[in-house]
Amino acid sequence: MCGIVGYIGEKQAGPILLNCLSWLECRGYDSCGIAVAGGDLTVYKNAVRVKALEETLPPGIKGTAGIGHTRWATHGEPSQVNAHPHGDCAGKIVVVHNGVINNFQKLRQQLSGEGHSFISETDTEVIPHLVEKYYDGDLAKAVAIALDEVVGSYAIIVMMAGEPGLVAARKDSPLIIGIGDRENYIASDVPAVLDYTNRVIYLEDDDIGVITADDVKVTRQGAGVDRKRHRILWSMEDARKGGYGHFMLKEIHEQPKVIRDTIQAYLLAEESTEDLFGPGDTYRASMLLLACGTSYHAAMIGKYLLEELFGTPVRTELASEFNYHGYNIAVDRAIVITQSGETADVLKAMKRLTGAGCPVTAITNVMGSTASRMAQRVVYTRAGPEISVAATKSFIAQLMALYWLALLYSKIDISQRDNLVTKMRQLPGKVQQVLDNDAVILKCAGQLVGYDHTFFVGRGINFPVAMEGALKLKEISYIHAEGYAAGELKHGTFALLGREAPVVAVVAQDDTYEAMLTGIKEIKARHSPVIALVAEGDETVGELADTVITVPQTDAIFSPVVNTVALQLLAYYTAKQRGCPIDFPRNLAKSVTVD
Amino acid sequence: MKQAMVLAAGEGQRLRPFTVNRSKVMLSIAGKPILQYVVEALAQNGIRDIVLLVGYHKEQIFDYMGSGEQLGVAITYVTQEKQLGTAHALAQARDVIKGEFLVLPGDNLIERATITRFAAVRPEALLVKRVDNPARYGVVTIDRGKVRGIVEKPEEAKSNIVSTGIYAFTTRIFDFIESELGIPDVLNRLVDRGGDITVEETDGTWWDVIYPWDILNLNDSILHGIRASLGGTIEGGVSLKGQVSVGKGTVIRANSYIAGPVVIGDGCDIGPNVCLLPATSIGNNVVISPFTEIKNSVIGDDVNIGPGSMMQDSVIDRGCVIQGHFMVSSGQEEIGVDHEHHLVNVGAMLGEGCRLGNNVVAHPGVIVGNYSQVQPLKLIRGRLPDRSLIV
Repeated sequence: MCGIVGYIGEKQAGPILLNCLSWLECRGYDSCGIAVAGGDLTVYKNAVRVKALEETLPPGIKGTAGIGHTRWATHGEPSQVNAHPHGDCAGKIVVVHNGVINNFQKLRQQLSGEGHSFISETDTEVIPHLVEKYYDGDLAKAVAIALDEVVGSYAIIVMMAGEPGLVAARKDSPLIIGIGDRENYIASDVPAVLDYTNRVIYLEDDDIGVITADDVKVTRQGAGVDRKRHRILWSMEDARKGGYGHFMLKEIHEQPKVIRDTIQAYLLAEESTEDLFGPGDTYRASMLLLACGTSYHAAMIGKYLLEELFGTPVRTELASEFNYHGYNIAVDRAIVITQSGETADVLKAMKRLTGAGCPVTAITNVMGSTASRMAQRVVYTRAGPEISVAATKSFIAQLMALYWLALLYSKIDISQRDNLVTKMRQLPGKVQQVLDNDAVILKCAGQLVGYDHTFFVGRGINFPVAMEGALKLKEISYIHAEGYAAGELKHGTFALLGREAPVVAVVAQDDTYEAMLTGIKEIKARHSPVIALVAEGDETVGELADTVITVPQTDAIFSPVVNTVALQLLAYYTAKQRGCPIDFPRNLAKSVTVD
Repeated sequence: MKQAMVLAAGEGQRLRPFTVNRSKVMLSIAGKPILQYVVEALAQNGIRDIVLLVGYHKEQIFDYMGSGEQLGVAITYVTQEKQLGTAHALAQARDVIKGEFLVLPGDNLIERATITRFAAVRPEALLVKRVDNPARYGVVTIDRGKVRGIVEKPEEAKSNIVSTGIYAFTTRIFDFIESELGIPDVLNRLVDRGGDITVEETDGTWWDVIYPWDILNLNDSILHGIRASLGGTIEGGVSLKGQVSVGKGTVIRANSYIAGPVVIGDGCDIGPNVCLLPATSIGNNVVISPFTEIKNSVIGDDVNIGPGSMMQDSVIDRGCVIQGHFMVSSGQEEIGVDHEHHLVNVGAMLGEGCRLGNNVVAHPGVIVGNYSQVQPLKLIRGRLPDRSLIV
């Protein structure tokens, strides 16, 4: 998915385009670019986010018409040359495009044969060359002829030096025109232009629009059509959140889809996965998992998985600490986990590892990020862009990547593997069940909201889940929360328990169950209120704990998925009741690019 | 008419178990929720400013519809906290409605042509349709092209013209809402006070889902209008006949036989040697194991069906896991819902997240509640409540 914008009017186009693009970053942000028409066409683009492009924008880019693009690569690497806008041979025609052109290979060969020269690897670049080929004084006509040859989906904006208007067209990708006073806008979706206007026209498939500062003309197969103007009432924030109060809740609710997308991308992919860990059995030697923050909790769960299914020792390290280990113990393979791919501590650790000759595999959500470029091998998570500072769906997507790696390389027999794959396929439904039955979690949040200190405990594969639950609660609700291995409370922390310190206990139906029951009894003896997370069908814990949150049963190795989602909701509802600014908590940033 | 308000807050109690965890508007018919058909019909008629009145399980509507950009509309959400009827719902949207607007139920399946003429009508107006069984609906009496009155579900219907629940209003209508529960009461008041409501009749599609087995009838009707489209991977020896739509990332394995109309979602793993017969809809992330035959059925997302199973005229909701050799016999069966008895031709209706062991046999018309578990070698029949355990 990508986002495109266009502006034509009396103001300087550059700042307006960049502002519109920043609202489109929820459609992707791995590279971006603009083209502005003053006397000449100037293109400025790079594999950076919109803000970074803005900061480095040369002052000379002047003009009152322009187009822009922000990209989320799904095939091929983001780079300056692959970023949009793309131009023709003479540098007179520029195009931004959202969609996929299926027959671009054929068109490209054909055009190359006719003497056109291509510089990028994108499918988009055939469009400006096609338009160049057919241009005989009428840009809209040239675009129409060019699009007749294109098979695929597109929303495009075309700009040409010396032409008075922008030309826009769509097929199977969204595109709207925003109507201003002596200026007009074009964008992938309405929120992008709402800073400037709330009057919009929706283009239909196969429409071609010619947009000048004073006029919008829409044609279809050569004949003019009248497209209604709509007045939009909604505010920008509401629109982007699609009904939800916060991005965080929206992203929590996207998790069933993220899991489905992951399964589709990994399990059913016919692509070769043989070399993710290198040839032969080298992956079975020592392994290091390295990450920070929420990703570190995914790494800790990964350790359980890989040790369980590989039968080899796995080390986990905080990247921020690893960099200060004086003595670097050799490992045969490292896996780093970073949502943004830009976490400074992780990048530094990767440099050290690579320097020591250790092959690194990166698990990241952002294609073309620094980590993905530094790593020898990359596994992309399928979370899509994450806006909320508190990570939710990216964590679940990281777990899915780790499950997949563990299943791919484990030496368990095929029937056990099939059994686990079947269980994995049921996870979207189980997560949906947690989301659908959030009334109890809402009630528990009401119980936590008045406390200043909380503890989260778990054992085994759910110990990291307790850590993650505590992290979510503290970062968005500002309640002091600590995640503990349940057995460690009695080594000191018991001194803090009491009526004023509730405990959230994650109880899994595995071999930690009896020990967790004992632990809860000990906590109750210190009078701490206990909220227990239990699997469906459990009747024992309810008698010990004050409140019980029930989650669907699943295989023990997948229990972190359903348990984490329940704790994400608990943190969200608690923070909401405390009136916290959930999506943008104080003192925090989405990706930590300083060490 | 540029603005429309779609009522999507209701539950649909008679459709349980399928509406325990989702609103009726989100029931999937031929691969799309009913609400999407309504919004698409509006967009195709140029009505793109859409107020969605949500309540019951609204999050799933947010997740699916988002801000509306995928359907080319702008959605404003208004929440009705308690489901106090359509008139109350209408009043909730007072602040976001401007001028003239349409009101439509989100749970009646319509198509573009249904409202094309109505979209140009002058308010106030009511869209009506002639039906065979008017007593299920609000029967409209008409006098010289204007509404004289509406009687909801009369014991004896005086005509076969019923209200579609689709109205054209101006903001003036808000002045007539008092403490009524339903919009028909508001219309009756308007008429009593001398107001005119134009009647417009449609012969386009307008289908209501009232009982679980209606899902099958609707699915059958809609599927007959689909066009073939192939995503994913089709292995050798697969036979595709008629209109078959296969989603991206789906694998159809060797020697499967698919006779359309059939819709298959994204990321499914089907076969080898699976037989899918008309008119079957299959959701996303579904696994269907070898030697299974499915006919005239609706299968939800994330369902796993074991080998050697046979089912027809059945609805299997999201996330069911069915082990091998599940046998559904289909036939005429009398089913009671809310003290009414219905003679229908139906197989099995499974709520979401059910787990069935090997060799379960389903009697025609069985309705299994959500999250139920059935041990191997059991015969299931009748109506089983949610979380039943059959041992």
